Amino acid sequence: MGRLRKKGKAGAAKAYMTRSTAVKKLQCSLADFRRLCILKGIFPREPRNKKKANKGSTAPTSFYYAKDIAYLLHEPVLNKLRDHKAFAKKISRALGRGEWSIAKHLEEQKPSYKLDHIIKERYPTFIDAVRDIDDALCMIFLFASLPANDRVSAALVANCSRLAAEWQLYIMHSRSLKKVFLSIKGIYYQADVMDQNVTWLVPYQFTQNVPSDVDVRVMLTFLELYQTLLGFVFFKLYTDAGLIYPPPLDTTRDEAGAGIGAFSLQVADRKVAALEPNNTAKKASSKEVRQAIKSIATGKSPTGRVESMDVVDDPPKATEVDEEFVPHPSANDSSPTASLPTLQSLSSVPRSNSSSLFSPYTFFLSREVSRPVFEFLIRSFGGRVGWPVSSGSGSPFTESDESITHVVIDRPAVTRNNESCEGNEQKGKRKDVQPQWVVDCINAGRILLEDLYRQGATLPPHLSPFDAKPGAYDPTAPLSEDESGASIHEENEEVGGAESESEEVKGGTKEAVPVHVDAESLRAAELAAEVAGVEYDEFQTEVKKLQTTRRGVGGKTAKRCDEEDMSKVLLSNKKRKLYERMKHSQRKQAAEHDALKEKRKKIDRQKRQSAR
Amino acid sequence: MSDDEGGGDDDQDADTDHEAEDFPGIDTGSDSEVGSEESEEDEEDEVSEEEEEDESEEDEDPSEEGDSGSDSAIHIFPRVKSTISNITGRPKRVYPEIEPDYESDSSIEDDPNRIGNIPLHWYDDLPHIGYDINGKRILRPAKGDELDKFLETMEDPASWTSAFDKNTQMNKPLTAEELEIIHRLQLGENPDAAYDPYEPTVEWFTGKGKEEIMPLSAAPEPKRRWLPSKWEKQKIMKIVRAIRQGRIVGSKPKTAQNTPQFYAIWNEPASNQPPPLPAPKLPPPTHAESYNPPEEYLPTEAERKEWENAEPEDRERDFIPQKYAALRLVPGYEQFIKDRFSRQLDLYLAPRVQRKKLNIDPNSLLPKLPSPSSLRPFPTYQSLKVIHPGSRVRCVSVSPDGAWVVSGDETGVVYLWEVIVGREVKRWVLDSKIGAIEWCPRTDVSYFVVSVEDKLLFIVPPNLPSAILSSTQNALTPAPLPPPTTSPIKWASTSRVEDDIMLTITLPAISGLSKQITWHRRGDYLASVCAYLLLSLVLCLVYRPPSPASNESQVWIHQVSRRHSQAPFKKIKGTIQLVLFHPIKPHFFVATQQYVRLYDLMQQKLIKTLMPGIKWISSMDIHPSGDHVIVGGYDRKLCWFDLELSEKPYKILRYHSRAIRSLHFHPTYPLFASSSDDGSIQVFHSRVYNDLTTDPLIVPLKILRGHDVNDGLGVLQVKWANKQPWLVSAGADGKVVVWCSSS
Repeated sequence: MGRLRKKGKAGAAKAYMTRSTAVKKLQCSLADFRRLCILKGIFPREPRNKKKANKGSTAPTSFYYAKDIAYLLHEPVLNKLRDHKAFAKKISRALGRGEWSIAKHLEEQKPSYKLDHIIKERYPTFIDAVRDIDDALCMIFLFASLPANDRVSAALVANCSRLAAEWQLYIMHSRSLKKVFLSIKGIYYQADVMDQNVTWLVPYQFTQNVPSDVDVRVMLTFLELYQTLLGFVFFKLYTDAGLIYPPPLDTTRDEAGAGIGAFSLQVADRKVAALEPNNTAKKASSKEVRQAIKSIATGKSPTGRVESMDVVDDPPKATEVDEEFVPHPSANDSSPTASLPTLQSLSSVPRSNSSSLFSPYTFFLSREVSRPVFEFLIRSFGGRVGWPVSSGSGSPFTESDESITHVVIDRPAVTRNNESCEGNEQKGKRKDVQPQWVVDCINAGRILLEDLYRQGATLPPHLSPFDAKPGAYDPTAPLSEDESGASIHEENEEVGGAESESEEVKGGTKEAVPVHVDAESLRAAELAAEVAGVEYDEFQTEVKKLQTTRRGVGGKTAKRCDEEDMSKVLLSNKKRKLYERMKHSQRKQAAEHDALKEKRKKIDRQKRQSAR
Repeated sequence: MSDDEGGGDDDQDADTDHEAEDFPGIDTGSDSEVGSEESEEDEEDEVSEEEEEDESEEDEDPSEEGDSGSDSAIHIFPRVKSTISNITGRPKRVYPEIEPDYESDSSIEDDPNRIGNIPLHWYDDLPHIGYDINGKRILRPAKGDELDKFLETMEDPASWTSAFDKNTQMNKPLTAEELEIIHRLQLGENPDAAYDPYEPTVEWFTGKGKEEIMPLSAAPEPKRRWLPSKWEKQKIMKIVRAIRQGRIVGSKPKTAQNTPQFYAIWNEPASNQPPPLPAPKLPPPTHAESYNPPEEYLPTEAERKEWENAEPEDRERDFIPQKYAALRLVPGYEQFIKDRFSRQLDLYLAPRVQRKKLNIDPNSLLPKLPSPSSLRPFPTYQSLKVIHPGSRVRCVSVSPDGAWVVSGDETGVVYLWEVIVGREVKRWVLDSKIGAIEWCPRTDVSYFVVSVEDKLLFIVPPNLPSAILSSTQNALTPAPLPPPTTSPIKWASTSRVEDDIMLTITLPAISGLSKQITWHRRGDYLASVCAYLLLSLVLCLVYRPPSPASNESQVWIHQVSRRHSQAPFKKIKGTIQLVLFHPIKPHFFVATQQYVRLYDLMQQKLIKTLMPGIKWISSMDIHPSGDHVIVGGYDRKLCWFDLELSEKPYKILRYHSRAIRSLHFHPTYPLFASSSDDGSIQVFHSRVYNDLTTDPLIVPLKILRGHDVNDGLGVLQVKWANKQPWLVSAGADGKVVVWCSSS
């Protein structure tokens, strides 16, 4: 006889743990538990059988893997949280007693935790990290645009905007932006970093207000993790690209509203890069930064070459830079990341034309165009860009510059009678385009005709570059022949001619004969045929043919339906359910597709009528 | 009081002195203006006292009189003279000598009475307050009543500066010094006016010229005064060493702690643990989300309203597509933070399930089956229908030669008609509902059995060829009638030629209507199943019939040639639904509500129990080869059993949307059909192979629709014609339909 098995000692009962038991086991508060879950990326699981997992109870609870909780037990951050709890008690006691010096001393000893190990744990390789920075970037860009208040500190906002600028700098430097989409929610960007598609959403530049039903603490905890993650990712990206991280910030320029231009990319010193062992990278880089700052202050560049972004973007110099970097910091060590294609090796591969799409052009942003967005877009595709002083300082040229080829303008067109001839001359050279032109060019991968996008023109629809599922509705595809058959015939009628007329009549009869032929419509069609001079016999045969085809179509669909039903008979229950689910989704997609098509037809018809 | 007022001061001086004292609240003017006798006397007393004091002071140090009056303080100590000593040449103090006379003592002070310093409460209840020097009582002075007291306070302006004197037992005005002391006490100062709290220190023993020259002790100076401590040095060096070695680390500057330090974290090799699954990404934005979408994406008014009325979680999209003419007109998105927040909630609060996404064509799931057109013939269209007006057709049977059909309905009407044209040949109107109809499978005779009430009627169709008619008559009424048995079943030949009923079997009265009749292949035996159960239960309780075993049997097997009926089972578990003869072997299938049991009739034992897993079996049929059984249930399931294999079904099919009512294998073609309450008939191709390794092939061929559903009942029975692939179906809508195959 085998050993007796006790209930609740194996299987789901052991593998799962409810949230309250987990909190009890960790001996921390629920808020701390949530914080830990966010930081460690632990999420609830759905057991196959809730009853088995929860001692026979089916009450709605969330379950966690018991192993996940066991890992949490050894988490250093948990200890730090406990320390913090004790610290809070001590300091409140000191403050309550008015022992200011003790409180100050305690405040200096405030326990704080580091998330480095968590980053390494959650993202063992660099690729894992890059794959998962979508949400982090969204949050960083959101918080960079938030107003600082008592819930969101100013330092946090500043750090977020710094990280956002660093990311944009990197994207511009590596020219890895691929897709842009202006949506009503904000602007979607997609970049190809380390062969991973990174998509992020940036809100339009309006003041965001944190709604009251949003728990800011949760967002801040996420942000804590994201800031650390992005710091490490950027460090790796910058050092792989041979740049110094963090890029030094020119405070005077920043105060003048230069935006991204306040940062300057700095090429890492070759020697330092070669000598630098793995674990001293941090020190070396910080020293570098100090030196760099000093050099900025004195106006010399002793070790690293300080380049402003404009210089980096200049194509000949950029190639020169590429040639200089022979030894590469991450190529020396035998870490797994070394085998990955680095940016250097990638950049040696000839770039596709699209990444230097705007390089022959010079843009000037009109003052109502959002400078940070379009500066980023144009410069990440190699264009030169300038802007008026009202949009911030740091413009490389003024409006009167001769080299300007395009003016991005978003104003309604105003007809002016007395324009100076000089202005006209300038206008002749420059092309006024609306901002959508820039984005559509990027998505199309080529320079589109500017005429459609000239100032004040009604823009063509802006389509999502992300929405390209096979079989989905394509708004750019023209309506097929038979769908717009009637309209074509109508057009033919306008053209005139005897042959076309007879054709038209045929089309007319096609329309006139309904599935259930009622006498009146038949007679009307007959009369029309007579007017057109079609023989009666011919007409009759036509009608018959049509009727048979219609019936045939109806019969065929019914038959197909029956066949489908019958072939489902032999499926097993599981497979049948799967099949039905798939069919359901297909049918839904088709219905959506058809609805959109119908709408489009209707709109086309209305437009044509109004044109007449 | 100052000394320099001198003895020569008159009354007025004293008054001014009072004034100069600036005692608050003293009404000095009142003295001079309204002076009562008493008060004047008091004042005189006071003055006299002062004079006395002054005089005494004058006597003490007349030399001071000529001084500039710098010593204005009252002298507690006797006045000191400083002279230069003749001997040392230093200034020295000379104190006045104390003269031992009366003046130096206070004992000579004039005392109003001399009762002595005794507790006066001793005399509380006596008229006197003490004794004078002569031993005479000193009487207690008269005490005025309250009114007198009040008048006194009102009249005497100095009364508020007077206090009760215990010795004299009367009010006495306070002296100016006393008032001064009270005033200082009130101010919280030292009561002594001459006291100076900030006197310059007098250096008695220190200061210049007063240094000690002689040492107090002869002990030598200790080393610790001028040598640094060795032990302290050792302690300090220990700390220094610890700091140098890094064992003691000073608290780091706060700024360095706060800014995170980044380094090449991915340069170290990754751990062997697999990375956690990445969080699912958000779906990419669609065209509808554009600020300038194509117009067909914009919602109509109805769609917008529907979106607004829907709950936020029911909405397909969390935004409404909108179109803006230019980018500058696009407003900020209000839900942005909310969206990010809900995404984060999803990330850490929502349970995640890993699901395999099948990226396949759903049609590839369907099994590869031969096309139905290659499996012809099978019935495809409705060739004709016969209508039983106003009643459900419960049962139908096709003659063995496939030319005739009998159908019986619930009103008791039995039609006989031709399959090919549907011409009604004859109709029998019987007493009540028809339970079952079955043709005898023999081809040399022609008759059929109808169950009505508790009877089985053997009916011979009209217009038979004479040879067949005679053989039929012979079969039903053999010339030497077998001897009647002692069975409760009555066999009776009837000569009702007009009804064509040749023979009647009367079952026990309690057995009720027979639901099913089934023939043995040879056509000599037939089995009938009665709807017996409820009735029998009632009867058991009431009557206790004498031989329950024989009487209560639900199943009877009748032998026509011997005119003998027998109950095969004494007792059987469960209610019997259906029975079947095995086509080849002497086996007998009995379907109870949930199981199908297979009995050997020869050996009289149970061979097998089939477990279809159906809640309630409704129908059953056996393949002509005898190896395969199909069982249908009211719970829509159809089970195919291979008798060679297990007791569990080889295949379970569920395709009807309502209960299965009837099943039938075609006797010659590889076809079977099932009918259901959903009004449809499903025709299958069912090929059975002789070798045991090949599984039977089941292919659905055709769904025949044409019957209407009436009161939740659809097609009640289907039967195949024997030699053609034709199907006859009887429906609850009163129709009997023949389905034929198209060539």
